[in-house]
Amino acid sequence: MWRSLQIGLSQLFSPAHSTGELVAYVVGALLASVLVLALLHKGLGWRGKRRLTMAVTFTAGLFFALEYFYPVRMVAGRQRNFLTDYIQPANEVLAIIMAFTVGLGIYSLIQVHGRNVLRQRRGWCNSLAFFLSMVVMFGFTLADNYIKVSDPPPAVLPYPKASFEILFNGLFMPLQSATFSLLAFYIASAAYRAFRVRTLEAGLMMAAAFVVMLGQVPIGAWLTHSLPVTGYHGIPAFFRLENLGEWVMTWLNTPAQRGITFGVAIGALAMSLRIWLSLERGTFFSEQS
Amino acid sequence: MEAAAPQGFRQRLQQLPRGFIYLLMALVVVWQLLFPLPMPISPSATTKGVYDAINKVPPGKLIVISADWDASTEAETGPQMTAIMHACFRAKKPFALLTLSPPAGAKLANDRAVAVAEQYGAKYGVNWCNWGYKYGYENIVMSLAKNIPATLKSDFHGDPISALPMMTGVKDYRDLGLVIEVTGLANVTEIWLGFLRGPFGTPLAAGYTAVMAPGYYPFVDSHQMAGMLVGAKGAAEMEALVEHPGDATRIMNVQSWAHLLIIALIVVGNLGYLLARGGGRR
Repeated sequence: MWRSLQIGLSQLFSPAHSTGELVAYVVGALLASVLVLALLHKGLGWRGKRRLTMAVTFTAGLFFALEYFYPVRMVAGRQRNFLTDYIQPANEVLAIIMAFTVGLGIYSLIQVHGRNVLRQRRGWCNSLAFFLSMVVMFGFTLADNYIKVSDPPPAVLPYPKASFEILFNGLFMPLQSATFSLLAFYIASAAYRAFRVRTLEAGLMMAAAFVVMLGQVPIGAWLTHSLPVTGYHGIPAFFRLENLGEWVMTWLNTPAQRGITFGVAIGALAMSLRIWLSLERGTFFSEQS
Repeated sequence: MEAAAPQGFRQRLQQLPRGFIYLLMALVVVWQLLFPLPMPISPSATTKGVYDAINKVPPGKLIVISADWDASTEAETGPQMTAIMHACFRAKKPFALLTLSPPAGAKLANDRAVAVAEQYGAKYGVNWCNWGYKYGYENIVMSLAKNIPATLKSDFHGDPISALPMMTGVKDYRDLGLVIEVTGLANVTEIWLGFLRGPFGTPLAAGYTAVMAPGYYPFVDSHQMAGMLVGAKGAAEMEALVEHPGDATRIMNVQSWAHLLIIALIVVGNLGYLLARGGGRR
């Protein structure tokens, strides 16, 4: 019965063979999703919604945990257990659900910025720029994906592809890089203003910072290059800044990071369990109770 | 009056105008970009670990380079990526690019791969390929463990993944010789450690921005990772290993003097602070 259900579903959801079929699938799936969500929203009270969410969360968590921890055996050259075959479709479902969150994000942005533009609030020009950027980038990215060119590409690209290249490589990339490169200026200024040796601990931190900063760049190695690499039981070589920097990172940083990682991992495990078992407060409509 | 002047000097040492600091930094950066003073670069143990891991990949196994970065961190991760590709092509090890996040990483890495492949006469689909951006983070990493072709379906160009000659016989993680995670994002490596390195024992290496690298030293120390490239420094060291000095080597000249400037500024600020404190005590 299960097998016939699988066959039936795969026949129903066979891959689209034409653009029209694809558009029909997408629109149909969207309409069906909206209908299901609307029915759930109207038909279930907050208690029902909460129970449904808890049940789905628990089942999904149990599925992935069981699949990961349940012993495997070799079948047709692959290690698998009774749940392995369902990982693929389960992940596809998850990807679709996650894609809905992108749509939700865009909807929220449109709502906020649309209100700014319509009411001409302060800074409404920025909101308008958001709409323009989103529409233009969206359009040209789609065009770039769907317009195929020969390999190697021609000297003159078709207009939509060339426009995408200009927008992506000529505008988006430099803007993003420039934003982050400003960090160099802010860090220089912030380090100068905030770094004061007020206590012994601050002094130790500064010493470690200087060693690591110089050990990470060739000029550090150059400053101490006259120290012999061999001899005297390797003691002078240890004080070469690149070695001293590596020592700080390996011998001082590593144990500290390991301790932090253990702490974070235990915390994350506890939090995951609380979410899985719906014990976490403030989730799943609990505030409506 | 005599005491007021030194006090003002001490205060001024602590309160250099922000614009002046920015100007100094800009001058240092431009000076080193235009007139670099080349300095020797000696590869660290963590970088050698990545280089050795690439060379140790057995014949018939695929290297996956996960390009999880975009323009915001490209100054560090971009040259890392290029240097790693050089190492793969030099060692004649086929590799596949994959992007889990952010989406722009797929194109940025592809552009770099096309440029490097040209230098070696490498062919797409034979010596390298791009699996493209796959949405789903750990779900993708988890699915790849079970069935690589079924998870990927199509490559960066939208063509069927099974049509690529180098993908013949690649079924799951046991067919991979190494995964190199190049990223500016925290917590992606942990996914690979959990679903690849742990259950399958497939070697894992990484390239990180300098600011996130300290958090991953424990994994190199425990040999869960074969090695890692630390920021532009790691990229420059890799460039030295593959004898192909590029962007990172230039960046290291700039970074050297920028670090010196920051240290000098901190010293000046503290000098003013200590002088002012000494003056106050008197």
